[in-house]
Amino acid sequence: MAAARRTRSGRWVPFLLGATGGMILLVWAGSNGYRLSIVTLMVAYALIAIGMYVPVAWAGSLSLAYGAYGAIGAYSVAVATTKLNLPVWLGWVAGVVLAAVIAVVLGVATARLLGFHLAAATLLFATAFETWLDNSLWLGSSNGLVGVPEVAVLGWRPGQQAVVTAGVGLVLLLAFAVDRITASRWGVVVRALGQSPLVVSSSGTSTGRLTIVVLALGAAVAALGGSFFVTTVGGITPETFSMNVVFLALFMPLLGGIGTPWGAVVGAMLTVQLTVQWEIFAEGGGLFVLSVAVVLVLLLAPSGVLGYLAAVGQWAGRLARGVRRAR
Amino acid sequence: MTNPQLWLSVLEVGCFFGLLGLAYLVVLQGSGFFNLTIGPYAMLAALAWTGLTIHAEMEVWSALAVALVAVVVVAALTEMLVVRPIERRSGGSEFPALVAVAALLFGISQGAGLLFGRLPLPGQEVLTFAPIEVAGASVTPSFVLIATLAVVAFGGVALVAHTTRAGRALRAVGDNREAARILGLPVNRVRLVAFMASGLIAALAGIAFASRGGISYDLGLHWALLGFLAVVIGGTGSWLAPLLGGLILGLAEVMVPYYIGGQFADYAVLVCALIFFGLRPQGLFTTRVRA
Repeated sequence: MAAARRTRSGRWVPFLLGATGGMILLVWAGSNGYRLSIVTLMVAYALIAIGMYVPVAWAGSLSLAYGAYGAIGAYSVAVATTKLNLPVWLGWVAGVVLAAVIAVVLGVATARLLGFHLAAATLLFATAFETWLDNSLWLGSSNGLVGVPEVAVLGWRPGQQAVVTAGVGLVLLLAFAVDRITASRWGVVVRALGQSPLVVSSSGTSTGRLTIVVLALGAAVAALGGSFFVTTVGGITPETFSMNVVFLALFMPLLGGIGTPWGAVVGAMLTVQLTVQWEIFAEGGGLFVLSVAVVLVLLLAPSGVLGYLAAVGQWAGRLARGVRRAR
Repeated sequence: MTNPQLWLSVLEVGCFFGLLGLAYLVVLQGSGFFNLTIGPYAMLAALAWTGLTIHAEMEVWSALAVALVAVVVVAALTEMLVVRPIERRSGGSEFPALVAVAALLFGISQGAGLLFGRLPLPGQEVLTFAPIEVAGASVTPSFVLIATLAVVAFGGVALVAHTTRAGRALRAVGDNREAARILGLPVNRVRLVAFMASGLIAALAGIAFASRGGISYDLGLHWALLGFLAVVIGGTGSWLAPLLGGLILGLAEVMVPYYIGGQFADYAVLVCALIFFGLRPQGLFTTRVRA
């Protein structure tokens, strides 16, 4: 996984491309309710994918519990608004805090695990969590919770289109932030942690604390995805962020390219296109296509779609230079 | 706690998970990584067998043969087309192989669902006789099938591993891959055979277990996880170790729902996994290396 050299302009280009893409999406969606719900799903998945990308890319630790963190974010908002009659933003905060705490606890419990063991343990946790949601009457069991009220800021109701736009903005902001942090001094330390923990600890930084911060950050971002979803859509069921979403979140950075958080965003869009928009394979056939796509990407373009495009871009650049020299 | 029928159930479920764990162990020795697609292999064999018998109206035994061959071929293709190139390309990193295997897990599960439908199907009968009463419990044909299969598979693998040249090659590759390659052992062929053998074991296990409780396309993931746990809990030190791991999991999956409640099986398995991962990640049986 070659990390692209990050020049100042190198960091802005993906952001501008992302912002352009986001604007095109929003224009396409307009005020069409169905299209807006597609974009909502993309935003939620992108946030979960970014949340998952953070520990993987920074600390090399793959946790598959991200569907659970998204669900925590969503259910916190749902419970806060429908059962406790608290304002929506409190639900968001509670969701983020809860997810971060649980991620840290899970991280401590799985502290010495690597690779397959860590993936299996976190997957088991996700399974158990979904079972718990299904069986908790106060959370609506398999029917979930509905009736989350529309977003209202000091009496002003922005409407679905504005909320979705804000969501897209959030994704762009977070992806950009993660990108910048990756290149910052702190980011370099954290990434070194993933590659050689011994070096990091001998330089005086506590590896345990770093990993915990990274895990908490990832979970918090994923929880934001869940909170956004339930705020925009108004309801949540245990299936919304089930196991399938976890693997989708895993595949998303892969499809997009793992060297950059923008890969998670691109992957989320591709994923939603493949699994929701594909009418022929309505029931899970999209998931089949997605799985095949991931295997193909791994075999043919290991740096993901973005990496592939970058490689094509480089090849085109070389071609253009060759032509110019030949003249 | 003294209900013999329950213990028979524990044995049956435990043998099944143990067999899946054995399949994992064979692949682990042959290639050094955990092939999570073993769960879907078992599911695919059972679903194909039942699906062909019911929908394509094939004769039971020919459908069985087709299902077994199909899964072994899928296992071979997995090794040749996916695992080998990805491992070669990624060098030492586990991550791409893990993701590829996860993608295959989903691909095979969803593919099976597309081919054979998403409704749960009943298993087919291979042995039919009236349940025999033994000490207050009734021994069903499915139990006899699974127990016999477990004895044959575990015994067979242990025997082959220790007496034949192929078995020695497998153990050599499992101990130290690079050394085996330098010594001239056909490392790639050993790996391919390991994949195919584990596919066969998983397929037989899935078919035998499905005759007890039916089969549906989404069981692949659950079985993959439990088989993995069986080999992690049991350890890699002995060919019989996955059986012990499987029995422990069988306890969790049978006793807990009976005494506490259906959904607590999932929690119990999670707690079991965390305990073993945290306290004894190398499993119960380990190879002791004499200095």
